[in-house]
Amino acid sequence: MIEKPETSKDKKETVFIVDDDESIREGLSNFLEAVGIAAKCYSTAEGFSAHWSEAMAGCLLLDARLPGISGVEFQERLSKLGIKIPVIFMTAHGDIPMVRKVMKAGAVEFLTKPFQKDELLHAVEQAFASDRARRKEEAILDSIRARLDSLTTREREVMGMVTAGLLNKQIAGELNLSEITVKLHRRQVMEKMRAGSLAELVKMCERAKEPSWSVHLSE
Amino acid sequence: MTGVTRIGSVYDANMTGAEANRLSRWAMEYGLKPCAIAGCFVVVALLWTFPLQHLIAYPFVFLFFGAVMGSAWFGGFIAGFVAVLMSSLLIDYFFVPPLFSISVAKDSQSFFAAFIVCAIAITVVSSARKRAENAIRIARDQLEAKVQARTAELQRSNLEIRESERQLRTLTEAIPQQIWRTDAAGCIEYCNQHLCDYLGLRTEVLRGEEFFTIIHPEDKALFRQGWQAALANAGMFEIEVRVRGADGIYRWFLVRSIPQRSEDGRIARWYGIHIDIEQQHSAQQSLVQAQDDLTRLLRTLSMAEMAASIAHELNQPLTAVVTHAYACREWLQSEPANVEKASATAEKIVQESTRASVVVSRVRALFRKEAQVRELTSLNQLIRELARLLRDEAIRRDVSIRLELADDLPQLEMDPVQIQQVLLNLAINGMDAMTRVAAPRELVIRSEKHGEGEILVAVEDHGSGIAPAIAARMFEPFFSTKPHGTGMGLAICRSIIEAHDGLLWAEDSAQGGAILQFTVRAQS
Repeated sequence: MIEKPETSKDKKETVFIVDDDESIREGLSNFLEAVGIAAKCYSTAEGFSAHWSEAMAGCLLLDARLPGISGVEFQERLSKLGIKIPVIFMTAHGDIPMVRKVMKAGAVEFLTKPFQKDELLHAVEQAFASDRARRKEEAILDSIRARLDSLTTREREVMGMVTAGLLNKQIAGELNLSEITVKLHRRQVMEKMRAGSLAELVKMCERAKEPSWSVHLSE
Repeated sequence: MTGVTRIGSVYDANMTGAEANRLSRWAMEYGLKPCAIAGCFVVVALLWTFPLQHLIAYPFVFLFFGAVMGSAWFGGFIAGFVAVLMSSLLIDYFFVPPLFSISVAKDSQSFFAAFIVCAIAITVVSSARKRAENAIRIARDQLEAKVQARTAELQRSNLEIRESERQLRTLTEAIPQQIWRTDAAGCIEYCNQHLCDYLGLRTEVLRGEEFFTIIHPEDKALFRQGWQAALANAGMFEIEVRVRGADGIYRWFLVRSIPQRSEDGRIARWYGIHIDIEQQHSAQQSLVQAQDDLTRLLRTLSMAEMAASIAHELNQPLTAVVTHAYACREWLQSEPANVEKASATAEKIVQESTRASVVVSRVRALFRKEAQVRELTSLNQLIRELARLLRDEAIRRDVSIRLELADDLPQLEMDPVQIQQVLLNLAINGMDAMTRVAAPRELVIRSEKHGEGEILVAVEDHGSGIAPAIAARMFEPFFSTKPHGTGMGLAICRSIIEAHDGLLWAEDSAQGGAILQFTVRAQS
């Protein structure tokens, strides 16, 4: 009867629970286990950041009131550390300014204790989806970056000019090369980047934020 | 006469100018002038005697008496004497036989001697009379001079007094305060221009009882009482009252008056000054107001914080219970049902529920009051104290408080602080209820006997009454109609009264307001 998140079976997506209250941790992990979602508990924020690795997929279920550090501060620290895992906040009493702040900082949901199971499941599902999308995007970016790294300096130069819309003749003039050589480099680029068309190459560069050539850059 | 000049010439040689001058004045005074006067009178008498001697019997000498008298009168004793000498010689020579000789016939000797004696007597009398008259005249002149001098002096001092009075008046007018003066009985004699201008009245209008009309009706009794006491004790009088201005608006004044005593120690008059303290007063009022607001805010804040902390404490176990309960259902609904997990989860639910109830009892323990205080207390006294406490607040809100207290009330065992708190709460509520009502706003606090060993206290306002929807809930905790109310006031009041075996309830007043009343019972 519970529509389990489709991905919960194929990947070890986990809900990382950070709450100083043991009974809350137990209750949540017990419930998540019952609906078939993996859960891992931490009693402190430090405990979580110490165990963090990029491979940990899923979401963070964070109590807004933790001993030593507030949930809001912890969220800020995570983004500073480059940890981009989606965050679901929980609190016993949320004030509007705090809700606004954490949501602005990218929290998926703000749950007020005690919450309904559908609220929690919906938030977890949403967080997982967002984490998946993020991971997929990152995987694509990683492969583009890997391809970019395989280019030689000259090839990268040529690619920049190609994506900027320069003709082979212009590139040759710009780089003091023969048009034939430029054509060769260009073919190499298309092959290495595994781009079927010029449009595809432009898209990849755009995604990887690869700077394309412009007049002032060459000056 | 020749002798005198001779003596003068003897001294002339070795005399300084000033002394010669003095001497010549002396010679003129005692020599020349008397001789000249005597000579004139005697010659006139002689010339008149010649024709008259033929008409009147021999020997006719009466005119010479007149000459002697005149000489002595006008020229003094010396002139008189010279006149006697000259008259004697001339009479002897011209009119006493033998005629034209200085010898005197035997039968005329007595006549001649009588004449000389009479003439000398006349000289003496006349000159003495003249001297006396002169002395009187001099004395009169001196007196007159003295009187004139004294009059001038008096006029000068009069002027000085008037000038200093004018200066004093200018000074009192120049002081930017209101000043008055009364006679010993307290009747206004003088008001300075500032006071007249402020009141828009003339001094004459303020005589007697009229003076009290400028005082605010609520301060009048206090003012009169203080003023009568000051008049009776002859001491300094000082009071803060509201005084009505010409524009009909009352301002706060410090009225201070001191008596001036006359030399015999009795009070001659009173001097009073009105110092405008409206600004200080309103500053003080707003300070009190700010303090009030602050305490109210603090109370609400700590209340809110406590509520948050209690909510957190309770929410933790409740959240655990809810999540465990969901998990329990999941375990039971799975195929096949995981009974082991489900029963472990149910055990957790029991544990967490117990934890929640512990929190609840801890909160209750926190609010449980300390050992009960019970003191034999007079409720009327509490009410009077309250009225005194509320005087400033009532003035600020333009509310008058009327007490209707029964005299024959027994003292009861109670916690005076708590009952005072209830009274204060009801009174403030009553005043709050009248904020939107037009003046006059009156709050009545009544006490009366209510059955054996029971007292009823009613606080009646003239507000707009209690709406039925509110009446049903007004004693519930956290129910408030005020924007910043905690909603605890009446709930706490009710619990205090119930702890005193009494009741607290609300009724509609016949005047349209509300009556909040409670009973307190003698503790068995």
